[in-house]
Amino acid sequence: MTIAVLLKQVPDTTAKITVSGGRVDQSSVAKWSTSPYDEYALEYALQLKEAGAGDLVAITCGPDRAAKMLTDAAAVGVDSMLHVVADTTEMDSKQIQSILAAAIEHCGADVVLCGKQAADTNSGSTGPGIASMMGAACVGMVSEVMVEGDSFSALRASSSGNERVSVSRPCLFAFDKASTELRRPNVKGIMMAKRKVIETVSASDLGIDMGESQVIIESHDSPPEKPPGQKFEGADSVQTVVLKLREEANVI
Amino acid sequence: MPFDALDFYDVDSLLTEDERMVRDMVRDFVDKDVLPEIEHACRDGVFPDEWRVTLGEMGVLGAPLKGYGCPGLSYAAYGVICRELERGDSGLRSFASVQGSLAMYPIWDFGSEDQKNYYLPKMASGEWIGCFGLTEPDYGSNPGDMITKAEDMGDHYLLNGAKMWITNGSIAQLAVVWAKLDGVIRGFIVEKDDEGFSAPEMKGKHSLKASVTSELVFQDCKIPKDRILPGVKGLRGPFSCLNNARYGISWGAIGSAQACFDSAKEYSLSRIQFEHPIASYQLVQNKLSWMLREITKAQLLAYHLSQKKDSGDWIPEHISLAKMNNVDIALEIARVARDIHGANGILDEYPVMRHMANLESVKTYEGTHDIHNLILGRYITGIQAFTRETS
Repeated sequence: MTIAVLLKQVPDTTAKITVSGGRVDQSSVAKWSTSPYDEYALEYALQLKEAGAGDLVAITCGPDRAAKMLTDAAAVGVDSMLHVVADTTEMDSKQIQSILAAAIEHCGADVVLCGKQAADTNSGSTGPGIASMMGAACVGMVSEVMVEGDSFSALRASSSGNERVSVSRPCLFAFDKASTELRRPNVKGIMMAKRKVIETVSASDLGIDMGESQVIIESHDSPPEKPPGQKFEGADSVQTVVLKLREEANVI
Repeated sequence: MPFDALDFYDVDSLLTEDERMVRDMVRDFVDKDVLPEIEHACRDGVFPDEWRVTLGEMGVLGAPLKGYGCPGLSYAAYGVICRELERGDSGLRSFASVQGSLAMYPIWDFGSEDQKNYYLPKMASGEWIGCFGLTEPDYGSNPGDMITKAEDMGDHYLLNGAKMWITNGSIAQLAVVWAKLDGVIRGFIVEKDDEGFSAPEMKGKHSLKASVTSELVFQDCKIPKDRILPGVKGLRGPFSCLNNARYGISWGAIGSAQACFDSAKEYSLSRIQFEHPIASYQLVQNKLSWMLREITKAQLLAYHLSQKKDSGDWIPEHISLAKMNNVDIALEIARVARDIHGANGILDEYPVMRHMANLESVKTYEGTHDIHNLILGRYITGIQAFTRETS
């Protein structure tokens, strides 16, 4: 039995993003990291593997540089890695989902963990879209998952608090922020990662016909500059400030 | 602001991928576990035990040693580990240097097979802490004239004497102690509970406050016969340990310098005087560019030395130059960084005064700055200035 964790490499949250020619300038990104929600998925996938739920494969779809992220995942304990090398910048969500669904099938995985959304595009469609293609149960907003015999028990946020959901294979868990951060590697793990080979394939190796993108990205723009703050002085302004805090800022 | 490690010439790109992964691992430990706690540890004068546990879990103790549960990393990786640890605090790096280079190394190189199998795995895992007893109250730069002596009593050795300035002494489970047996310097493994052995802590330091420093006292201390290190006689034993520790320090000092540079850069960009950030003034820029220049040179020196260590093509004088230079510039960078921070520089809100005070010790221990100059002087001239005898 195989568990898959899906990882996406995104600009680090501390990296400066510049836009040039209507597109995010990827070459100007100083540091790339694993998307933070995916790191939670990875930690809980490692816990499932350690609980004996199956072997763990880390899968990514992205350019050559994304391989570094798979090596980092190997250092914390994933058994194997699959890298679908592709330029995803102009792909729509459905194309990426079909690549990842085919990659999951290629690895023979029927339990999938991923982040609820990526820190760059924030679309949140990858997990549910793949679950739909796999015909798998999809549990979103997950903060914990455990193996219980043949099924899995997940904790997720609901409108009335947390709820515990039990599902059987095939299933997909899309992670929100969880209580346990991704573990730090150790020297032994790093040395083992050096010996693990990343399987590298292309979308066509997986036998997928993605078709044309249904979405056309017209342009990227930097967020508008924040307007300067407003300054009030003296006791006379109290009423105005209270009114603004209530009516405009909606904080009281 | 997150730490931005100055690497102007991108020297880290010369490291292997796994060496960079080790760097990132230790950097993460320092960011998340060490920096939030370091000022408390300094105020309380303690080395937090959690750091010992995590160093063991990461598997970085005794980094370049192979076999017996040791990591088996390159000397470049060992250097990077020291640099990242010392970016946190010199006391933390001192802990790792003493454990790996001064306590584990002599057992690994000069110990019996039984000693290696018994001690090294639990020292690599951090379960046991080791210390190194060479310096005595009256014999620092001149260890060859040490007073501590061992006597062969037939079924055991009897150790008498005292060691001073011993990092990790009071928290260690074992001490590698150098003493004269029939006038010849030999290494002995002394365990914490050995009869006649005590390790009182030295208090009142203004430097390396998060590191434990102790005396080791031996009063008719009985040592079983199988605890002598069989593989070495004379000063070569302790000096070969010091070579490895000094090598690590030459990298470690860069970490302190990077931390001070980063803090000075950030501070000077945000501190406004006369309506402009002080970073916009030429005097401050001159100081920052001098720091960048010296750190870059130190990085190249340390990296090149790492390659020589890994290939085996090195002499102790190479290490003397790197230890002396890199600590010297790190200390001066810490002082200039304190100056750039103005009065704020003396507060523990910023790391600069702590690094500055630490580096005063680092300049003196493991061969003082002057002694390394004399080692180089002897190399150049063939004249030994310590004893005024030609070598």
